[in-house]
Amino acid sequence: MTQSWQLEAEAAIGRGVTAKRFRLANGLGLIAAIDRRAPIVALQTWYRVGSRHEQPGATGMAHLFEHLMFGQTEELPPGEFDRLVERTGGESNAATWVDWTYYRLSLPARDLPLGVRLESERMQHLVLEPVPVEAERDVVTNERRERVEDDVDGSLDEQLMAQAFTVHPYRWPTIGWMEDIRALALPHIRDFYRTWYAPNNACLVVVGDFDERALLSLVESHYGHIEPATLPAASRIVEPEQTRERIVRLPKPIATDRLLVGYKAPGQDDPDWATLEIIATMLAGCPSARLYRRLVIEREAASSVDAQLTPFHDPSLLRLAVTTARGHGADEVIREIDAELAAMAGHGDGTGKPPSRGEVEKAKAIAETDFWSALVDLDGKAEALGHYETALGDFRKVNAIAERLAAVTVDDVVRAVNTYLRPERRTIVIAEPEPDSAEEAA
Amino acid sequence: MSPTGPTGPTVIVEASPDTPLVWFDVAIRGGASADPNGVEGLHRHAALLARRGAGRRARAELDETLDGYGAAIDVSISRDAVTLSGLALTRHLDAVVELAADVLAEPMWSEDEHARLLRETPQVLDEIRDDDSALATRWFDWVCCPGHAYGRTSLGTEASLARIERAAAVDLWRREVVADNLVIGLAGDVDEAAAARVVARLSERLPKGPRPVSAPVVPAETARGRRVILVDKPDRTQAQLRIGHLSVRYGDQDTAALAVAEAVLGGMFSSRLMQEIRVKRGWSYGAGCALRRSRLPHWFEIWMAAGIDVAGPAVALTLDLLADYAANGPTDDEVDFARSYLVGAMPFHVATARQRMQLAVRDAVFELPAGFTARLPEALAELSATDVRAACARCLDAGSAVTVAVTTADQARGALEGAGAGALTVVDHDEY
Repeated sequence: MTQSWQLEAEAAIGRGVTAKRFRLANGLGLIAAIDRRAPIVALQTWYRVGSRHEQPGATGMAHLFEHLMFGQTEELPPGEFDRLVERTGGESNAATWVDWTYYRLSLPARDLPLGVRLESERMQHLVLEPVPVEAERDVVTNERRERVEDDVDGSLDEQLMAQAFTVHPYRWPTIGWMEDIRALALPHIRDFYRTWYAPNNACLVVVGDFDERALLSLVESHYGHIEPATLPAASRIVEPEQTRERIVRLPKPIATDRLLVGYKAPGQDDPDWATLEIIATMLAGCPSARLYRRLVIEREAASSVDAQLTPFHDPSLLRLAVTTARGHGADEVIREIDAELAAMAGHGDGTGKPPSRGEVEKAKAIAETDFWSALVDLDGKAEALGHYETALGDFRKVNAIAERLAAVTVDDVVRAVNTYLRPERRTIVIAEPEPDSAEEAA
Repeated sequence: MSPTGPTGPTVIVEASPDTPLVWFDVAIRGGASADPNGVEGLHRHAALLARRGAGRRARAELDETLDGYGAAIDVSISRDAVTLSGLALTRHLDAVVELAADVLAEPMWSEDEHARLLRETPQVLDEIRDDDSALATRWFDWVCCPGHAYGRTSLGTEASLARIERAAAVDLWRREVVADNLVIGLAGDVDEAAAARVVARLSERLPKGPRPVSAPVVPAETARGRRVILVDKPDRTQAQLRIGHLSVRYGDQDTAALAVAEAVLGGMFSSRLMQEIRVKRGWSYGAGCALRRSRLPHWFEIWMAAGIDVAGPAVALTLDLLADYAANGPTDDEVDFARSYLVGAMPFHVATARQRMQLAVRDAVFELPAGFTARLPEALAELSATDVRAACARCLDAGSAVTVAVTTADQARGALEGAGAGALTVVDHDEY
């Protein structure tokens, strides 16, 4: 290790791979995990900035950067970033969500120095001029049309968050409201870059075939001189407790009702998050899951059902997504959901069973398979490390949460259902067929 | 890859102890292209029905048992094969394989599940109609080359589903699920002895008869002339576009050259389509192209989702780009760049045991020589720019390009009629 680096943490990540977190004096984090099973590397740069760090009226800014960061820099003409990566056979991409933005490079191992140089360059020297910004704004508005305006699931998702949260920044969509995307002003875009794109707000994650000493030296040479930024104080906005059910209905050109039900749930670092993850699996995470069996197989009231617990830093939602079957409607499905949850809570109407030890063990076995599946390839390992480091502050929580999942009991499940999955804590958005569509489906 | 002998399944094993997981794929040659005429959806129906109860276990018990192991056995249907895909924690591998063997050898063929599946499938059609991208693909498959076996839907239509009988599903399974007709792939935490045990369990109870002769799938002549199918759906802000034509099979003599051609036109961010459609004009979030990888000649297809106000110009520009590319091909520099990209990218496609296994299974289903895809970099190294240009001239045909646009007719029809894309037909989005 060079003298500039401080080793802060070390932990096994999967079989035969150890991840270490180092830090430079300017605050830059580096998580390195050697895995030599293929001559490639995953290089990801995670920034602690997502849509939660935006302001009302300027939503979509973090996501816009996901596009702009592939543009011109002081050293790289327009398009050169992609050409340099593609010439190696590598791939680049990026993702933005509520708590973070990350940039992903998958490169042949020998091209890791190129990747580090490119990431360092765009952290410091992005050129933000009117013409390329306007071009990317057009691309983003088309992305939004494709994923939200013309996509029923995308529009339901957006409305769920908008209705479920009244003050917390999770209430606006990561891609931004259309009118905000169109109005983002260049001076504010430049301010956003200077504010958040800094070494003390970033963590590099490198997984793959590399030499640790060479990597430390390489990263230090490209980042060691960069001054840290003065970061805004962390937002402490707390969403008030929801005490009444909220329901919204939207007409859409679809064949049958679709609904999203979001129950307020704790943040991912809360001990109850693991219990709710097990509950999500028990509800709809496998072919024998309760809601799948009740709604799709027994009642034939739905054609699909899904449950997802969002992995956010702050309290968010456990979401149930249901597409109703022909001849059935959202209200009927909601009644069935209520009956199943009542059974899980221990006060059912006799149409469902209370949770058993075997059922919980089944969900834990599925969680174990999911845990290992996420660590199969280099990108998956890097994403797990980057997410936990950025959203929860410590990459080692990837293991801690796996341990919490393995420790969940039937009593935990019953308590969590009674605590969280209550009607007054939920928001429901329903897409209903427009009159013409309904007539055609009938 | 190692065939077990002169008869028996083709077997592929890619061992890796990285995680305590084992994946197995059992590909049954045949697939949706071999559905009887008028009974489209039969292969899918038979495979899903087989998975809904087998051996001693009815559907609920089978699901419960698999979930208890944290395992999965899923069914997928392509044009060329039905594939049973399993995932198991190593410690449960033998038990999970036993369940998969039951599905292959002893489905229950429950009458109730047969009837339920017939009720469920039209709702999958509804879900496709609700999804513009899936709807565009379904229509494009149908209209690209009328009469081609790959144009028939693997899901079925409301009319064809009404003709599916349980006995036909049983008969299909008995005819096609014979040891010689299988390709078995294993990947993950599995040693040689365990692999041999798994292969034996999966195949030992199956009939030993010869591979069935697939229904003849003769590619139809390419329809001449351009045409546009506007799939009318209300309230659209965009047009989901598919543009293409019948081309060649994966494994054809031009495969390596076409890989380069497709990368230059629409396989990279720096490709011509992305630069012209997205970067220069901002008309679509993405734009790309690909030759569909299949056993028989399949489509060369371009896709994008253009704003409804620019759908006409986007189609016109794309057809101009395709015509120019078919006539003149890529430049020498473009060929060098794309070759560098493709050769450098191969390690990412074979980085995990599961990826290597799946590529080898696909090659076997396509009846290609073992290692065909993994050896493509060698073929790429021998290519000249002239080879690529010649392949473009042989395999790309803007004059026969079919355009499918899922969009709102009131707003887009005029612009699409003026795009030089050929005669336009408007159909309703739930018509097919």
